[in-house]
Amino acid sequence: MNTRRITTTLSALTAALVLAGCASVASDGLRGDVQQQTQSRLPKDAQLASANADARKEAQDRIADWLKQPVDQDTAVRIALLNNPDLHAQLAELAAQDAERAQALTLINPTLTLGRFTNGHEREIERQLGFNLVNVITLPWRSRWLGWQMERATLQASQNVLLMAAETRRAWLRAVASEQSLAAAVKMNDAAQLGAELARRMAQVGNFNKLQQARELSIAQESAAQLARARLAAATDREQLSRMMGLWGTQAAFQLPAQLPAIPRSAGELRSGDDAEATALRERLDLRALRRDLDTTADRGGWAGVGAVFGDIGATYSNNRSTDRETGHVEKTRGWELDLPLPIFDWGGSASARTRAEVRRSAALLQSTALRARGEARTSWSRYRTAWDLAHQQQAEVLPLAKLVQDETVLRYNGMFDSVWQLLAQARATTQAVVNATNAQRDFWLAETDLQLALTGTSPGETAALGSSASNAASNTNEQGH
Amino acid sequence: MQRRNFFKGAATAVTTAVAAASVSRVAMAALPEPASQSSADTAAPLVPPNGRPYRPVVTLNGWTTPWRMSNGVKEFHLVAEPVVREVAPGFSVNMWGYNGQSPGPTIEVVEGDRVRIYVTNRLPEHTTIHWHGQRLPNGMDGVGGLTQPHIAPGKTFVYEFVARRPGTFMYHPHADEMAQMAMGMMGLWITHPKAASPLIAHVDRDYAFLLSAYDVEPGAMTPRVNEMTDFNIWTFNSRVFPAITPLVAKQNDRVRIRVGNLTMTNHPIHIHGHEFEVTGTDGGPVPRSARWPEVTTDVAVGQMRQVEFIADELGDWALHCHKSHHTMGAMGHDVPTMIGVDHRGLVSKIQKIVPDYMLMGERGMGDMGSMEMPLPDNTFPMMSGTGPFGSLEMGGMFTTLKVRAQLGANDYRDPGWFKHPKDTVAWEWTGKPLGADAPRQTPPGSASGAPSVRKPGTDSGHDQHH
Ligand SMILES: [Cu+2]
Repeated sequence: MNTRRITTTLSALTAALVLAGCASVASDGLRGDVQQQTQSRLPKDAQLASANADARKEAQDRIADWLKQPVDQDTAVRIALLNNPDLHAQLAELAAQDAERAQALTLINPTLTLGRFTNGHEREIERQLGFNLVNVITLPWRSRWLGWQMERATLQASQNVLLMAAETRRAWLRAVASEQSLAAAVKMNDAAQLGAELARRMAQVGNFNKLQQARELSIAQESAAQLARARLAAATDREQLSRMMGLWGTQAAFQLPAQLPAIPRSAGELRSGDDAEATALRERLDLRALRRDLDTTADRGGWAGVGAVFGDIGATYSNNRSTDRETGHVEKTRGWELDLPLPIFDWGGSASARTRAEVRRSAALLQSTALRARGEARTSWSRYRTAWDLAHQQQAEVLPLAKLVQDETVLRYNGMFDSVWQLLAQARATTQAVVNATNAQRDFWLAETDLQLALTGTSPGETAALGSSASNAASNTNEQGH
Repeated sequence: MQRRNFFKGAATAVTTAVAAASVSRVAMAALPEPASQSSADTAAPLVPPNGRPYRPVVTLNGWTTPWRMSNGVKEFHLVAEPVVREVAPGFSVNMWGYNGQSPGPTIEVVEGDRVRIYVTNRLPEHTTIHWHGQRLPNGMDGVGGLTQPHIAPGKTFVYEFVARRPGTFMYHPHADEMAQMAMGMMGLWITHPKAASPLIAHVDRDYAFLLSAYDVEPGAMTPRVNEMTDFNIWTFNSRVFPAITPLVAKQNDRVRIRVGNLTMTNHPIHIHGHEFEVTGTDGGPVPRSARWPEVTTDVAVGQMRQVEFIADELGDWALHCHKSHHTMGAMGHDVPTMIGVDHRGLVSKIQKIVPDYMLMGERGMGDMGSMEMPLPDNTFPMMSGTGPFGSLEMGGMFTTLKVRAQLGANDYRDPGWFKHPKDTVAWEWTGKPLGADAPRQTPPGSASGAPSVRKPGTDSGHDQHH
C-alpha cells in the first residue's frame, strides 16, 4: 500500500499550515491587542476586563476599593472598562471571531471515498482520498487576509472601548452637574418657600391682599416643580452612570465629587486646533480599520480571477482493488484524478470586476471617512474652544456680575428701595446663574471628551449641541420678582 | 460741619471764594468776570459795596453774586454750566446750574436799579433765562423762540432792564425747561425797596431759599429728567436735611423767610412755635388788610411766598414741608409695609440664602433712622440726622429755626442745640404703669365687629361637622 506516501503528502501540507502560523487562537481573545491600541487613549492604569476568573475577582476587589471614595471621572472610566457587561459581550465577540478565523484557516479535511462493488465474477474495492487543492495553495494568502481582518476587528473593538469610555465620561459629567444643579434648585426653592411663608404672614396681619399673596405662592409652586424636575434629572443621570459602570445594588450607592473639575484657567492652556486634522488622520482607529479593509480587498483582487476559475480544482488519489472471484486474481489500479472546472462561460471576468469594484468602494469609504474625520476634528475643536469661551465667560464675567447684582440688591434692601421678596427673587436669580455656569462648565468637559475621541479614537457620534443647556435653563427660570 | 467755620467771616462783606473773582477788573469793553462758588455752604450776607444801600438776604446753602458798576448800571455775569452739587456730604448729584452751583447765585438789587446781566451758555444745549416776576421789556423776558433767539452753547447774551418792583423773585430757563429745571437750573432774585414802605417791614434776619426736587436712582448721580411725580430728593436750595443750614435768630428779631417753589408739586411750609403772616408773594407786598396769621403756608408750583414773624420763642424749632414724604430721603415707594409681620423662624433661614440680610420694618420704619446699614454708593438714606435726644428720622425739606437770647446782630453761626430750662422737656412717666387688663387695640388682620369664623377642630365647630 501506498498510504505512507499519502501520509507524507498530508504531513507536508500540515507543515505548511503550521508555518503559516495562523490557525492558533489567541489565548486572551485579543484583549491584549485591544488594550494596546487603547492604552494611550484611556486614563492611566485603565485595564480591560479579563476573561480570566481570578483576574475578574481581583478586578471586583479593586472596584470595591475605588467605591470607598467619591468616584472621579477617570475612576468611573476605569470601573466601566472592568465592569461594563456590554463591553464584556463585545470582547467575547472578538474572541469568538478569532476562533472562527482559526477555524477558517484549518484545511478542509480530505475526503476518503470507499466503495465496494460486486458482480458475478468480480469484487471491486475502491478507495479514494481527495482534497481541495486551491484550499491548500491559497492558504498563506488567506491566512494573511484573515489576519488583517482580525486586526480590523480588533480596531473595531478598540473603538468600542473608547466609545464606551467616552460615554462613561459623559455620564459622569452629567451626573455631577445634575447633582450641583439639584443643590441649587433646593436653594432656589428654599428662597421661594420663604417668600411664600412671609407673604402668608403678611396677609395674616392685613399687609398683603389675596392677589399679592397668591403671586408669591405661585412663585413657590413653580419653584417646587422645578425642584422636582431637578431631582428627577439628577436621579436619571446618576442611574445612567451606574449603568455605564455596571454597578447595581449596594454598589450603586457610590459617591460623587460635589464639583465638576475646574476648566482650564486661560486659553493658553487649551489644546491647539492647528494640528487637529493631522492628528485625527494619523491617530483615528476607524481610519486605520478602513485602511486594513482596503489592503485586504486590494490584495484579494489579484486572486479573484484565479479563484473564480479554479476555485473548484480538486485532486483525488484513487487506490482500486478488483478481485476476480473465481481466479482470485487481484488487479490494483492507483492514480491521481484531477477535477478541473471548464471556464467556458466565465473566465473570471465578472469576479475580477466585482473585486475591482470592491477595491474602489473600499477606497471611497476610506476617503469619505477621512473627510469626515477632518470635519469632525475641526468642528469638535471649534465646539471645544467655544465651550471654553462660554464657560470661561460664565466664570470670569457672568458669575461675578451676578454676585455684584446680589450685593447691590442687598444694599437696596438696606435702604428700603427693594423689598425682601425682591431680595429673595434676586437670590434665586443668582443661584440660577450658578446653575447656568455649572452647565457651561459641564458642556466644556463634554466637548473636551468629544474632541479627544474625534482626534485619537473614532467618530464621536451624536454630540450634545452647545447652548442647549442654556436654553433649558432659560425655560426653567421662572419670573424673578414681581 | 464746615459751615460753622464758614460763618466766621460773616462780619466781612464778601467771603473769600467770592472775593477772588470780584468786581475789581473793570474794563468797559470786556465782559464782567463771572464770580464762581465751589462750596455748598451758606455764604455770609453780601453787604453792598457800592450803589444804593440795602439790608442783604442770607441764601440758605447758597450765595449772592457780586456785581460791577458800569456807568451807573449794575452788571452781573451768569454762566450756565454743568456742576456737581453736594446735596449732602457724601451725596453728590450731577446738575446744571450757574457759576459753579445749583441753584445759581442770588441776585440782589434795589428797586430802580438798572441791571445788565450777561449770560454765557456752557451747557451742551441752548438755553435762555426767564426773570420770573419782573416787570421788563417783552424782549428781555427770556422765553426762547417767543421773545428772543435761544442762547446757543458757547454764546453770551445780554439782558438789560430796570428792577422796577421790590419783592422776591427767581430766575430759571425758558428753553427745554423741563429738562433744564429738572437738572437744577434756577436762582433767587431779590429786589430790595429803595425807600421805606408801609407794606415792607425792616427785618433783622432775611432768609431765602428755593424748593426743588430731583429723582436720582439710588447709587446714580444724575437726576432722571423725565420723572414727573415720583421724586426722591426733596430740597431747600438743592440741599437735604441734615445738611441744610439752620435758620438762626436772636430772640425778638423780626425774621423774614422767602420761599420759591420750582418743583412739580405744592409744599405746605410749616414753622413750629410761632405764627407768621404772608407779607408778600411774587406779585408784591400783601396789603395789611389781606394778611392773616398762619403756621403753615402752602407754596404752590411756580409761586413765591414771603413770611414774617417775631422770633420770640427760644428753642430749636422745626421748619419743614408738611408733606411727610418730602422730609424723607430716597426710599422705595413700592416696598410693602412690614409692620406687625411675624418673622419668627424666618430670619435665620433667609440669612442662609442671603447672608447679609437684616430684618427691617416689622415694627415700623423708625429703625431706619438709627440703623447704620451699608447703602448703594452715593445714596442719601431715607432718614437720618441726629438731635440732642436721638435720631431725627428726617432727610429732606427739613431744617430748624434756632432762636437764642444771646446772638450777635450779624452772627449766623449755628449756636448748637438748645439748652432747655429745667422741667420744660417732656419726661417719662415713672409712676404706676398702664394695667395689663386695660383695653387693647384690635389684633391686626381682623376687622373689629366682624363675625368670627369658627375653625374646624375647635370644640363647637367640631360638633357641627357631624
Ligand atoms: Cu413738600
